[in-house]
Amino acid sequence: MEIDVNVQLAPTGLNPFDDPLDRILAEIALSVQLPPSLHGKAKSRYEAVRRHLEATTAFIDQIDHFYPQGSMAIDATISTRGTDDEYDLDIVSQLGGRFRGMAPLEILTELEAALADYPVQKVLRQTRCVTLFYADKMHLDVTPSLRTYGTFDRESLITHAKGPRRSVDDRFVDMNAYGFAQWYARRTPLEARMAKEFHRRWLDHAGLAARADADVDDVPDQCDFIVKSTATLALQLLKRYRNVRYATYSGRIPPSVMLSYYAGLAAQPNMSLSAMVIRLANWIIRDIEQASLYGRLLHVANPVCEADVFTDRWPESVSQQNEFAGYLRELAHSLEAMRKGEMSPNTMMDILRGNFGDRVVTRAADQIATEVGDDIQQSRQLYTRRGGVLLPSVGAVAAPLVNPSIATARPHTFFGRKI
Amino acid sequence: MAAILSIDEQIAAMKKAWPRFSARRIDRRAQSARWLGSVRPQYRSYSLEIRYRLGSFPEVRVLSPELIRLPGNSEGELPHVYPPAEDPTLCLFDPRENEWTAALTIASTTVPWALDWLTCYELWLMTGRWTGGGRHAGMESAEATEITQ
Repeated sequence: MEIDVNVQLAPTGLNPFDDPLDRILAEIALSVQLPPSLHGKAKSRYEAVRRHLEATTAFIDQIDHFYPQGSMAIDATISTRGTDDEYDLDIVSQLGGRFRGMAPLEILTELEAALADYPVQKVLRQTRCVTLFYADKMHLDVTPSLRTYGTFDRESLITHAKGPRRSVDDRFVDMNAYGFAQWYARRTPLEARMAKEFHRRWLDHAGLAARADADVDDVPDQCDFIVKSTATLALQLLKRYRNVRYATYSGRIPPSVMLSYYAGLAAQPNMSLSAMVIRLANWIIRDIEQASLYGRLLHVANPVCEADVFTDRWPESVSQQNEFAGYLRELAHSLEAMRKGEMSPNTMMDILRGNFGDRVVTRAADQIATEVGDDIQQSRQLYTRRGGVLLPSVGAVAAPLVNPSIATARPHTFFGRKI
Repeated sequence: MAAILSIDEQIAAMKKAWPRFSARRIDRRAQSARWLGSVRPQYRSYSLEIRYRLGSFPEVRVLSPELIRLPGNSEGELPHVYPPAEDPTLCLFDPRENEWTAALTIASTTVPWALDWLTCYELWLMTGRWTGGGRHAGMESAEATEITQ
């Protein structure tokens, strides 16, 4: 019989719900995730926006491509900074020949005019896009672009113009969001075990238990959103951490696309979630330290388009990047202490709340306490010879048959006094 | 009725199941022993001591780190323990339910139950809720059931 070596060696990823610390981190990530209901809406909304634009005189036959960029393109969307339930989604509208030769502000103004009567709460022209504000707090950024001919992967120019009048600062900016998403996908291949469990929990959170039973192979057909790798989960946690740390800042903050680039670099199969967050943080810290050592600003460009500079608007100073490195050190140190088992659970909760937000951390811990307590009351837990407790959701149910180091539970009732 | 286990049988069972525990102060005449071991049920590592003398219930203490109290908590400052407050021992089973007898091994009862207790204790510290069920002394069974649900 032939053995398919590739299948044997394919990284399946670690189930983030196997390890207690990873479990609470994964529950936090679930809480800040774009929920299934809004994911479905997002997709239908951007298709509706395209149809609306194509029905206008200005844009008829002038939309070559309409595709997600940023977090939506790499399945890393989380709630917007300062919120637990608002989501920013980004679409690139690649425009046709009529728009070539127009100034950036003209293109943005045309787009704004075409969307002016769109049935949303507000339509707002920004420096690089037009934003649609929906009643359920979803924000959809539509960024107009012009394809740069003779380049790869939809490399394009996007508009940059503050308005309301033309300015010498108006310009076109190179970008290749599509190529970057492809690069990220190549760097973070599907880790089936991790993705399946996370997807099941994602649907479970939304009360879609029946769909949660779907095999991971069926998932793309049923729902094209799936966090495919531990690196993406770590990226979401890092973005959430940044959002919390910079909640009160009024200026620019470390950009998501830059963090995504580092997640792509740091990606490595079969790592625990906490280890991946630490690895990702340390990778960024090292690059910032290196730049600061020579008094330079951190420079990160799109790996498939050198002119697409992810750090073009942040950092503005060495001290700004050093501040971010300091925050990342705090995150990495706290997670390392948790991994070593050196921290009391209540201190751990205080730190997690400070890192990721009170509400989502409290909700994650409550969820775990209820599930684990129920498992213990039903004697569903197992034990390792090293003195660890395994809960049934960790996929270790069949383990006693093959692993003599695991013992089963015997029912008992906690008694005693309150002191 | 199952035979009562000797201290040597208890020691052998502990050695086989829990290599991180070691037996100390073995007294075969008194049929007693003390085990020390380290565990990490979920988030934190703990050093445990188990004392046992045939004819008594096994006693489990957390030697380090010191158990944290939550003043004002509805479950008490520290739930499901035996006094004294300054040297609490874990209460792992209901004596009325015959969940433990001297015919059972400490290795298959007391140690895993202590791991359960520590797991619930950690979650209690994290959420303020004791979700592992159980009954405090003086509480009627129906009342206990309400709390565990």
